[in-house]
Amino acid sequence: MDKNIGLYICTGCSIGESVNVEKIVNIGKNALRVPVVKSHFALCGKEGTGLIRNDMQAEGVNTVVVAACSPRVKYEEFDFPGCIVERVPVRELAIWTQEPNSEEAQLAAEDYIRMGVIKVQKGDLPEPYLMETVKSILVIGGGITGMTAALQAADAGYPVVLVEKEDRLGGFVNRLHKIGKIPADPAKDPLIADSGIENTIKAVESNPKIKVYKSAKVEKTEGQPGAFDVTISSNGSSETVRIGSVVLAAGWRPYDASKLGHLGYGMPNVVTNIEFEEIARQGKIARPSDGKEAKKVAFVQCAGQRDPDHLPYCSAMCCTTSLKQAQYVRQNPAAAAMILYKDIRTPGNLEYFYKAAQNDPGVMLTKGEVTGVSEADGGNLYVEMQDSLLGGQVKIEADMVVLATGIVPATADDPILMLQYRQGPGLPDLDLYDGFADSNFICFQYETRRTGVYAAGCVRQPMNMAEAQEDATGAALKAIQSVEHVATGIAVHPRAWDMTYPDPYMQRCTSCKRCTEECPFGAIDEDEKGTPFYKPGRCRRCATCMGACPERIVSFKDYHVDMIGSMLKSVSVPEDEDKPRIIVLACENDAYPAIDTAALQKGRLDPAIRIIQLRCLGSTNLVWIADALSRGVDGMLLLGCKYGENYQCHFAKGSELANYRLGKVQETLGRLQLEAERVGMIQLAIDEYDKIPSLITGFVERVKEIGPNPFKGF
Amino acid sequence: MPEQIAGQIIKPDLNFVKDIIASGGESLKKCYQCSTCTVVCDVTPGETPFPRKEMLYAQWGLKERLLNNPDVWLCHQCSDCTAHCPRGAKPGEVLGAVRKMTIREYSAPRFLAHMVADSKYLLLLMALPVLLLLGVIVGRGVTGIPDGEIVYTKIMPVPAIDVIFTAAAVFAVLSFLFGIRKYWAAMKVGTKAAPRGSLAEDVVAVITEFLTHRRFRKCSVTQERSTSHLLVFYAFAGLALTTTWAIVYLYGFHRESPYPQYDPMKLVGNVSALALLFGISLVVVNRLKNAEKAGKGSYFDWLFLSVIFIIAVTGLFSELLRLGNIAVLAYPVYFIHLVFVFFLFAYAPFSKMAHMVYRTTALVFARQTGRDR
Repeated sequence: MDKNIGLYICTGCSIGESVNVEKIVNIGKNALRVPVVKSHFALCGKEGTGLIRNDMQAEGVNTVVVAACSPRVKYEEFDFPGCIVERVPVRELAIWTQEPNSEEAQLAAEDYIRMGVIKVQKGDLPEPYLMETVKSILVIGGGITGMTAALQAADAGYPVVLVEKEDRLGGFVNRLHKIGKIPADPAKDPLIADSGIENTIKAVESNPKIKVYKSAKVEKTEGQPGAFDVTISSNGSSETVRIGSVVLAAGWRPYDASKLGHLGYGMPNVVTNIEFEEIARQGKIARPSDGKEAKKVAFVQCAGQRDPDHLPYCSAMCCTTSLKQAQYVRQNPAAAAMILYKDIRTPGNLEYFYKAAQNDPGVMLTKGEVTGVSEADGGNLYVEMQDSLLGGQVKIEADMVVLATGIVPATADDPILMLQYRQGPGLPDLDLYDGFADSNFICFQYETRRTGVYAAGCVRQPMNMAEAQEDATGAALKAIQSVEHVATGIAVHPRAWDMTYPDPYMQRCTSCKRCTEECPFGAIDEDEKGTPFYKPGRCRRCATCMGACPERIVSFKDYHVDMIGSMLKSVSVPEDEDKPRIIVLACENDAYPAIDTAALQKGRLDPAIRIIQLRCLGSTNLVWIADALSRGVDGMLLLGCKYGENYQCHFAKGSELANYRLGKVQETLGRLQLEAERVGMIQLAIDEYDKIPSLITGFVERVKEIGPNPFKGF
Repeated sequence: MPEQIAGQIIKPDLNFVKDIIASGGESLKKCYQCSTCTVVCDVTPGETPFPRKEMLYAQWGLKERLLNNPDVWLCHQCSDCTAHCPRGAKPGEVLGAVRKMTIREYSAPRFLAHMVADSKYLLLLMALPVLLLLGVIVGRGVTGIPDGEIVYTKIMPVPAIDVIFTAAAVFAVLSFLFGIRKYWAAMKVGTKAAPRGSLAEDVVAVITEFLTHRRFRKCSVTQERSTSHLLVFYAFAGLALTTTWAIVYLYGFHRESPYPQYDPMKLVGNVSALALLFGISLVVVNRLKNAEKAGKGSYFDWLFLSVIFIIAVTGLFSELLRLGNIAVLAYPVYFIHLVFVFFLFAYAPFSKMAHMVYRTTALVFARQTGRDR
């Protein structure tokens, strides 16, 4: 595209009173040779945007640099379809965070505008990656979660393929005697009810948009979102179907109770909560040893849970389950249930269920640490408990003991998806979530590290049936978004507007495989010779591959190594040795918004810094550091998301990989005979804006201590 | 925490839990054992605080631990706990229920205790004094309202009253003595403590405390209760004095009633009666006013209050109607008065009246075992 650039400088929001706009206009016209340079007192107003539109018509401007406020505000006003638009946040980075009318503010404004102009000069208008796609949705798992997801997707008009490993639908609910219900009137309504799962099964099986495979499993999944080829084996035969996206609702299994010998498992009258459902289904609560009706049933909560030797987590549903099962016991009015807990956890509205169950005189609830179960006379048992509320160790006599065992996700030891990806068949790094197919809960519900695969229900997190159904609906919606975005050639979350895609210059590829190994989403596979090739549908456009590539061959239309390199090379480097220059590379997801907020709070930032937004710190290419430092820039600071456990990186691994690469920057700096401490990285969450001024000042001070860059002035 | 119950085998008693609930502790199960109750309580001792442990015992159905526990009587049902309970578990009401069960547990004969606690036996219990007193009247040949000056001995001669009420009092005292003995022994087992020090001194100390309502005055949520209770307490003392005085007049000086209004005994009697009426009315008003914060009370509470209220009203009206010479009303009202006085006396060991005996016993025991601090 032949670019005809227009630079528009807003003088509103006190920009005009704080910097010399006339001087900037002159720089634009003369130094940067921008054909159209104008200023206006309120660019975001009708008159201001009208001015820009008029220039598009009259002067043929098709590339717009708006030097005004942050790109995170007024994005509708400055939306010019078909044009390249760059927003330069002069207001935030030069006016609000610097001393108005100072030399520093003026210099900052000039630098940021210069970088903006260079950015559009180096960039291009994106075109979507289009391929032939289908919009059908594969649901793995025919339990309550899977069936709900299937029905939701089908109701929204999308064809669904449902794969269930058992010979009938219904999943775990089939094994339950009754389900718990929050009573509308605790005085009258029962706390338990039939599950009604048959109705859901019937709705799924009679839905013309849902094709159900029973006794089936996924043998392999090839391809990419919009065009997955999934081979399903069922009853000895295999079939390959084309799928747009996947809802993973593979559910859970109970924890292996044979490991709970210390809680008496193995004694005849000690059963798990799952086995207790089976007993209750037979009618009266007959204990296994002699078939006598159990009249004093003790429920041991957290059996093998919240325990580093077993399941370290809380399974979320067992407290409610035991409260429900206490009602099975209480069907005989002379029988009592005793629930022995560490903490009762009934999340959300289940608190009402707990309260209603607690009012039953035959349900004794008490806190303590159960240390063991031993045999008493006549097949009875003693539950030994310490730290009881009365202080001491007590023994509680029961004629039957139920262990509230927890849930193990299906993904704990089975890839399930059988992805034919270079990075492996399952979801990566699930040990962060104890095997659950989970992700950072704040930002990416249902997202997995495999684009187009959305997890829901107990395979994602321990949860109850109501939550699982809500989860299923959410994941179905994400799956629908995924097929729709792929069909129009745009990325999915978090860059859900992005039409660009990685476009490598393959002639220079050395098949080093760094990109295929580092891509957080497994978007890059290799051919037989080890040469990488992209599956763009899987790509989330974080540009981690661009940062990884030593040959710097990966680029996007509006984001590439040369672009950022040119921008940071255009930054002014003061000759004065007391005035260092430091480049800050800030992640667009957390760090940059935090800087915006700091600016809004009028937090002063050290004038030494120049901030450049990156898609993700994972896209940081080490050449930028060499480029900047060899020009005399005194230091570089990377601001990215938290990584590791409880990571907040929107691309899961980006900031972690940036940190890993920084570990290797030593070599580059050594070659330049510079100190490693000139380059630093700080993990920053979006809500830590208040720390930014001091963090930056601290880094600048450290660089000042090292002294000026010896390359200054070269 | 309170005493260790190391190694104890706990067998929760569902029927006992149901019993407490039926006795007015309906809210018991709501307790989630946060201990706010014990923290806000102004009258609990520091070492073995209540009512949290009692709430636990009650929820766990540990019958013995509740019934041989003197601490429930250290509670004066200020209802600070009930007002501050975040779950609406009303520990004050639950302890009230436990006290009622303690009375029921130790008073003999047990069947009477059950009858007094249950509204469905009210008429049956009432029938005893009605029939007894009617028998006296009929036996005297009285068939209608007597003519002439109103003199109550015309229908109810003094010896008859003396026999009936002395018998009732003796029965009550014996029952109380029996109950005190059993309770004292049970508390020794329950607290595993041996009473120490001078019994007489401790009895005097407890009674001195009652005279000033020192402990009761610490209540904050229902502070007025101590005043109204004090008034009722002294009214009863005054009426007891009057009765003794009357006995002295009758048997010492052979003076027959009615006595003139200026007689000092009459003066004490009238003032006490007015104090009782005023006091008991205050108690009722306070109860109704505090129902929201402190709970509405049980049948057991209200039966006791009603009996006292009726005694006060009928007693005063007996006198007023006599002075006003309205025979047709005076005699029936006097009859009702006697029925209720009998009810109060004879059933004292089983009604809430027994609290004065069991509370005294428990407080003396608490002092003797140092549990009071």
